Amino acid sequence: MREILSIHVGQCGNQIADRFWRLVLREHGLNEAGVPKDGGHASAANSNMEVFFHKVREGKYVPRAVLVDLEPGVIARIEGGDMSQLFDEGSIVRKIPGAANNWARGYNIEGERVIDQVMNVVDSAVEKTKALQGFLVTHSIGGGSGSGLGSLILEKLRSAYPKKKIFTFSVVPSPLISDSAVEPYNAVLTLHRMLNNADAAVVLDNEALFRIAKAKLRRSPNYMDLNHIIALIMSSVTASLRFPGKLNTDLGEFVTNLVPFPGNHFLTASFAPMRATGQEQGRIEFADLAKETFAQENFTAAIDWTGVYLAACALFRGDVRAKEVDENMAAIRKTLNYASYLPAQGGLKLGVAETAPEGFASSGLALVNHTGIAAVFERLVSQFDIMFDNHAYTHWYEGAGVSRDAMSAARNAIASLAKSYRDAS
Amino acid sequence: MDSALEKQIATAAHAVEDARRRAHYDPASIGELIEQMSVLADLRQKEGDFRKAESLYREALFRVQETRKPDQALIAGIWSLIAHLNDRWGRMDEAAKAYEKALEIGEKHGLHDSDAIATIKNNLAVIFKTLRDNAKAERYYNEALDSFRRLHGENCAQVASIYNNLGVLHYSGLDVERAQEMHEKALAIRQRLGEDQLDPNDLSQTYINLGAVYKATGDFQKAEECLERAKSLRAANGSYRPRPRRAASLLIDSAAAWR
Repeated sequence: MREILSIHVGQCGNQIADRFWRLVLREHGLNEAGVPKDGGHASAANSNMEVFFHKVREGKYVPRAVLVDLEPGVIARIEGGDMSQLFDEGSIVRKIPGAANNWARGYNIEGERVIDQVMNVVDSAVEKTKALQGFLVTHSIGGGSGSGLGSLILEKLRSAYPKKKIFTFSVVPSPLISDSAVEPYNAVLTLHRMLNNADAAVVLDNEALFRIAKAKLRRSPNYMDLNHIIALIMSSVTASLRFPGKLNTDLGEFVTNLVPFPGNHFLTASFAPMRATGQEQGRIEFADLAKETFAQENFTAAIDWTGVYLAACALFRGDVRAKEVDENMAAIRKTLNYASYLPAQGGLKLGVAETAPEGFASSGLALVNHTGIAAVFERLVSQFDIMFDNHAYTHWYEGAGVSRDAMSAARNAIASLAKSYRDAS
Repeated sequence: MDSALEKQIATAAHAVEDARRRAHYDPASIGELIEQMSVLADLRQKEGDFRKAESLYREALFRVQETRKPDQALIAGIWSLIAHLNDRWGRMDEAAKAYEKALEIGEKHGLHDSDAIATIKNNLAVIFKTLRDNAKAERYYNEALDSFRRLHGENCAQVASIYNNLGVLHYSGLDVERAQEMHEKALAIRQRLGEDQLDPNDLSQTYINLGAVYKATGDFQKAEECLERAKSLRAANGSYRPRPRRAASLLIDSAAAWR
């Protein structure tokens, strides 16, 4: 069956869940209660529903999802909205009083109270699978819950399920827009755990998403638009598992192809063609689609493109022909500046799935491992250093059980990660 | 895994899920959730999945602490279950810490003279014996013995169990005379117990332990008699029926095996 369990942590992680599950429901022909819209099995026949859904009885599907937050607001809105009948309430973990933007509270104090409940719910969801492939984790790494508790969940998942793939979709603090002063601390501490416990992490920054959305939607985007882009990327990563296609890829293949060195598993992504929800999409020439998929301005993190590509994957969905894919991607491959030690003709993993996201005739997804991701880490480490060297805000972390030594160790690990990316050029 | 256990686990897991859903809407039904989790945790240990069992107990612990008036006896009980689990898992240091935590909570909340606290003291002694700290083990056994005596008098199953455990402790410390004294006390009590209090396996174990002691003193005839009595008492165990537990049960040390 190759099921995937999604774990959404914190306010941002659950806002992404809201958009993501709406999209997946539409892709599988289900309504907001998890019931087939056509009342029958037509949608199910063309897709592997079991990857993302657990069939509880004839005509009723429940997402393989765990929703976790340390403050109940976002989850309460999901539970009270039009998807109120969708999720299994036993898989929802919401607590008070929140992590107060402090990684250490999310990881230690609040995390300790809630982690066993989360793991029990995860264990229970895993037991409902036949051949679990892995986990998708959505969270932000700048806040308190998604970062601190998210880190703890990653550690526990890795320890409990060492052979399963862990894919994170991690929203990193933007270069210019900041939600809180302590974001660099939270981000660096979380990246350290992602480095040690995730198999692949798709780095997303709100500023890049905002720029993409604004350019493509031709209006001022809101968070729902940004989360919709993330949802499209998440959906496309798993499309090959859920829909028939000529070139299938699964999480394991993505990881094998995208991670050339241990620890260098931080990716950036792009989706094309970008459009607003409800905006009609006409047929697009494949050459244009492929070009847009790999256009630098479409990638979801502010990386330094002067570096080199270490690896790339492309997954096209919908009305695309294998011959077109081969021809165009060979040309695109030549334009990508790969590290000199990688094979000239290889290094670009391809996948094709027959079904496009709802409203699209065809779509493209690129997942890229590029040395320029070092810029994200360097920026965060530099912001971290300025505060840390002046002992600013560190008392909040020490008070919640994270010493300056532990913070320093995380900082050094991420600085080394950035260097390892630069060295790989 | 044996299929009967597999079925029991599936049923218990289902019951936990249902209870979890109810607790999501109604915090008053947390108690039911905790009971179901304790059943599942027990089965998980039987299955050998200690990680999942520990996670269930720890969730139960935090759930109880979140209630408006946390039941301190229950919290101490869950700590003792966590300790018991760690003991079975072979994590003796963790087990000792958890028993000590249970003891601390119990004593802080006026549960000094209770079966639960006496049981924890006995179990802590077993852990210290395993950690080869016989002095601490003896101290805790004696404290447990005093408590059980005060609570139930001399002739009760719990006092017999402590004598048995003290016998095993002395035997392991090569103090055969004191071991014999303790096992004979245990036997005397167990022979007097009514059917409702007596576990035939405990009586049989006493004969085995006493047999080992007699053998060590060179009295082979008595040793042989004890062994024969033990053999005749060893009836097959009934089928396993897990029940919700609020605390770890009394650990009976059976280390002085017949050779």
